[in-house]
Amino acid sequence: MFRFPIDAESFPLGKGPMVMLILFLISTLFIFGRSEEQGEDLEFWIFANTHYEEYQARVPIFEAQNPGVNVQLINFGGTMHDKLLAAMLSNFGAPDLVEVEITSIGRFLKGAIDEVGFVDLRPRLESEGWMDRLVVSRFTPWSYRGRIFGIPHDLHPVVLLYRDDLFKAAGVEMTEIETWDDFIAAGKKATRDLDGDGKVDQYAIVLDRRTESDYFSLLLQQGGGFFDAEGNVIIDSELAIETLEFFTALFNEHKIATPVYGTWHGDPSNFAAMQDGKILSILAPDWYVGILKSQVPQMSGKWKAVGMPAWHPGGRRTTTRGGTMIGITKQCENPDRAWELLKFTYFDRLGLVNRYETTRIIPPLKAAWDAPIFKEPDVYLGGQPLGELFIQLAPDLPPRYQNPYWSEGADLLNDAIFAAVTEKQTPREALTDLAEKVRALMAKDRGRWGDM
Amino acid sequence: MKIPIHRNEPQGIIKNLFWNQQQKIAPYLFIAPFYLLFVIFMGYPLISSLVMSLYEMRGFQSRVFVGFGNFTDLFGDPIFWKSLRNTAYFAVGTLTLQLPIALLLAILLNSKFVKGKNFLRLAFFAPVLVAGVFVAIIFNLVYDQRAGLVNQEFLLFGKEIGWLNEENYVMPAVILTGVWQWAGFNMIYFLAGLQGIRQELYEAAAVDGANGWQAFIHVTLPSLRPVIAFVFVVSMIGSLQLFDLPFILTNGGEPADAGSTIVMYLYKNGFQFMRLGYAATIGWVLFFIIAVISIVQLKLLGIFRDE
Repeated sequence: MFRFPIDAESFPLGKGPMVMLILFLISTLFIFGRSEEQGEDLEFWIFANTHYEEYQARVPIFEAQNPGVNVQLINFGGTMHDKLLAAMLSNFGAPDLVEVEITSIGRFLKGAIDEVGFVDLRPRLESEGWMDRLVVSRFTPWSYRGRIFGIPHDLHPVVLLYRDDLFKAAGVEMTEIETWDDFIAAGKKATRDLDGDGKVDQYAIVLDRRTESDYFSLLLQQGGGFFDAEGNVIIDSELAIETLEFFTALFNEHKIATPVYGTWHGDPSNFAAMQDGKILSILAPDWYVGILKSQVPQMSGKWKAVGMPAWHPGGRRTTTRGGTMIGITKQCENPDRAWELLKFTYFDRLGLVNRYETTRIIPPLKAAWDAPIFKEPDVYLGGQPLGELFIQLAPDLPPRYQNPYWSEGADLLNDAIFAAVTEKQTPREALTDLAEKVRALMAKDRGRWGDM
Repeated sequence: MKIPIHRNEPQGIIKNLFWNQQQKIAPYLFIAPFYLLFVIFMGYPLISSLVMSLYEMRGFQSRVFVGFGNFTDLFGDPIFWKSLRNTAYFAVGTLTLQLPIALLLAILLNSKFVKGKNFLRLAFFAPVLVAGVFVAIIFNLVYDQRAGLVNQEFLLFGKEIGWLNEENYVMPAVILTGVWQWAGFNMIYFLAGLQGIRQELYEAAAVDGANGWQAFIHVTLPSLRPVIAFVFVVSMIGSLQLFDLPFILTNGGEPADAGSTIVMYLYKNGFQFMRLGYAATIGWVLFFIIAVISIVQLKLLGIFRDE
């Protein structure tokens, strides 16, 4: 009779290791023995869970419409951008399609414009007439030197979210606020010490002094920025300095702003302060309203929204914060097929309406805006149709010019804002120093490589 | 019976040569996998990063030789110095707080008077099993300004400290978190060291009239010297390589780089700013700092002394 040459007794270290080895071999054979699905593969990397869930539901429809095409959705979460960077550096392993976050795109634009790892989508957009059908200012974060490397996933208009009950209790009707001067006057009434212990119990607004998020939103609202359309540093312009003076005055002179509790607006500390009634208003993009709803559902019905106060009567009532793009990498073997998937996920009206239903993100495709869902009352805002307000503001979104030096600049801008608010430097000194540092960095690189 | 040897056949000659050489070759073949992997995964990246520190990259393809330009830039970079100060602050805070606590815990758990030693050992050791990322997330809640565990205590006295929001509190918060995570780990080393001290030494000290404190100073500490040296050096190296804890706890080192460390600055330069040459330079400077400090520590602790 045939006898297996190794049995459990004679196997080194006994029965347990032998069983483990057999299981390892079987699972290895199973994994590597799986037959590859036939057809064309498209790899699509994502970093946001909500986006991943949306595409998981929609991609099977695309695959059914395009027989033989297999779409591999991979959600790498927060580490995705580093993986993409490594894949582009090694010129190997990048996906066909990828979503990139707005604060990360700058690093992918370094070097000669022809070396950027994304396909220029401008020819396709123009030849198919998509430019006019989207909010054109939203291409600026994804464009550099005339090329468009990504399509905007969103608009992220910003509104002023406020506690109607508490402002009314202070004798303020927020719907009558038109300018920031009006807001300061109202804020002084609403910022109060309720129990007479000498400490302020409620602040008119919460602002982030640790990072550029709120200050930069205010600067964009006025048409300013860190870089202009030609890539010049303009963060020390009079507009930028005046905006920082205004920002610091909200804390130090008018004393109507409180620094964000915790490390950012989405910190549990900040939500706790909101629930305690310490915070009466906040500058909120569409995605932040989604976070509020999921993190503090118990505050449903307590918030209302208006357009941001303008800098002068009749001025712009919104700004933009955050964003994601989708791009086709140069490692993609079939950019035409990838473009079809891109259009399916980003330009399909029905899909974008579904996206709003789950994420409350306003799409850049204007044709989607007349869907009834945007006019529906929002229970969280006491029945106010928030989608309608965002869509009213959307056409007026300011541009946000992208630059390869954004990451370095933003890191230093965070320090400059904190230094100004904590009065270690005047706003003028802080921004002048910052601009000099970034210009010196750019000049040094130009000296090494020439004007790339 | 004689085994025929076909000396004149070429195949036989090769065979013989192989068998003669195999004794010499075999040891090298056995150790070859390690050296092969070391060269691929350590040697090559190390040399490559050293070369990279003499270049600067821009984009994915272009690089230019800058000699020691990155090193001179680094020594004039205020954020590097701030990150270095923060890292040193953490290292000193960790060593002065964490190691005495770890030693104290080890002594307590080695004494006859404490009950439930196995449970306590596990309890103190458990934090090290939690990944740094999760520790940071947990302590983000602990340091929560409004509802956190720490401030709840302070709030009783009317204080509301922004642990992660005010420059002066950021590094103390990171140090305390490090103590919570690593003290139990170092306790295990000290415990092993304590259990290795011969009982006769204590008996002899008692015969000589030494009290508990004198026995600790003159018997325990000298006997623990190699363990203390090891824990000291390893903790120092770990402290200088600090990254994940403050990166997540402070959301990238803010405010005003108060939570920035050398490795965090290296990461930012390499992956966020795409300045790979500069990042490699930071890595090599950190290597020299660690090497010098470790050698000095080992010398001071008498590890190189002949006894």
